[in-house]
Amino acid sequence: MNPSRNRTMEFDVDQLDGAGASDVRSGHWVDCLSRVAIQRDRTAFREVFDHFAPMVKSFAYKVPSLEQPDQFAEDLLQETMLKVWTKAASFDPKLASPSTWIFTIARNMRIDLLRKQARHVVNMVSMHAEDEDGEVDLEDIWFEDENSDVFNVLAQQRSRRQIHDSLKTLPPEQAYVLEKVYMEDKSHSEVAAELSLPLGTVKSRVRLALSKLKLIVDR
Amino acid sequence: MIRYHPDARFLTDYAAGSLPTSQALCVATHLHYCASCRVKIRDLTELGAELFSRQPAAAVEGAEFDRLMQRIDSQPAAAEGSATIRPINVVSILPRAVHKLTNGNLNELRWRRIGRNVRLSRLNVGDRQRETSLLFIKAGGSVPEHKHKGDEITVILRGSFSDREDKYAVGDFIVRTRRETHRPVASQDQDCLCLTTLDEPIEMSNWLLRLGLSVINRFSWPQAQHQAY
Ligand SMILES: [Zn+2]
Repeated sequence: MNPSRNRTMEFDVDQLDGAGASDVRSGHWVDCLSRVAIQRDRTAFREVFDHFAPMVKSFAYKVPSLEQPDQFAEDLLQETMLKVWTKAASFDPKLASPSTWIFTIARNMRIDLLRKQARHVVNMVSMHAEDEDGEVDLEDIWFEDENSDVFNVLAQQRSRRQIHDSLKTLPPEQAYVLEKVYMEDKSHSEVAAELSLPLGTVKSRVRLALSKLKLIVDR
Repeated sequence: MIRYHPDARFLTDYAAGSLPTSQALCVATHLHYCASCRVKIRDLTELGAELFSRQPAAAVEGAEFDRLMQRIDSQPAAAEGSATIRPINVVSILPRAVHKLTNGNLNELRWRRIGRNVRLSRLNVGDRQRETSLLFIKAGGSVPEHKHKGDEITVILRGSFSDREDKYAVGDFIVRTRRETHRPVASQDQDCLCLTTLDEPIEMSNWLLRLGLSVINRFSWPQAQHQAY
């Protein structure tokens, strides 16, 4: 551990700026999740809930033009937290930090709920049910527990810190596009359509942002 | 050796969860073969988690927690806890999602015939905007030259093929945008199996019609399909 990391551990950065610092208290949430997994500890679960539920709900509200945003937010919160409870035993702190794990669950549940909604609408229109047989399971496409060869928590923490420190240096138009892609459930093409920009412009803004965050650079 | 990878756009949309399911299936399939993209996805997921954590908190009522606990209490105990045990198929050489979609048995799929050397089997990925299929090209065979109205993504699962521009191998993630023309030819020594997804499936259908598509399976197609062809 480098010294600066130890220093930040001494106070609760969450309380200071509330900005993406939940990984700093990572150890605490790891502890809570293992108590949930092993002892089915409801007090620990309540702590996890109280901390992450507001993020999950915000994440739900970010989806544009929902017909019933409150209902959707409530559903996403329930489904996500239910999964946290039932799958707590499969959480491995060596592979991911708690906030990353919960983000991937919320992301997958959001895709799932939106997909079910879309199917519902289609079925209403076409008057016959879509054949769901053999349809692929979401978890087989957006893995929650695979690729463990590259998923290790130290590497994650390193990039998390990097991201945390450099996000505030992004030019607004780059941060804006990232926010749309990640939080508003919009693909590059959808962002381009919404902002009336060529797809290439959106791509290059994201690419510039990613290289500033030292995440990925295209070959 | 993989030389063609999804670009930052595909990887970011995948990590963010905004990529349409069929294209996400292609990325996931590539990830099965490509460790360097798995590392990128790890980092891009971390970015998502950071943005997620930075959101302003939405109001949550205590009643919502109570409701959740009621739900948990009313669940049968057996459904809990065992989530770590997941049957992962180590026998299959196919990537997990493709294996699931095909039950690991390619022979049981409904294959349509395109010309002498090409077979196509549609997969149900729950994405109505695109047509996703497995494409089988016999060794030395070729897919008739075609133009795309929409974008096409192909990931090679077995064998290799080449077109005017290059030769592609297992794991390669090949994107052909609209208006590009190409004519993939499988290598002489091995049959080629690909996963492919195409925007604007109706145009695809017209394309097949022009080629004189013949349906070799004995199942009838759903109503909508008849109209399309
Ligand atoms: Zn790759």
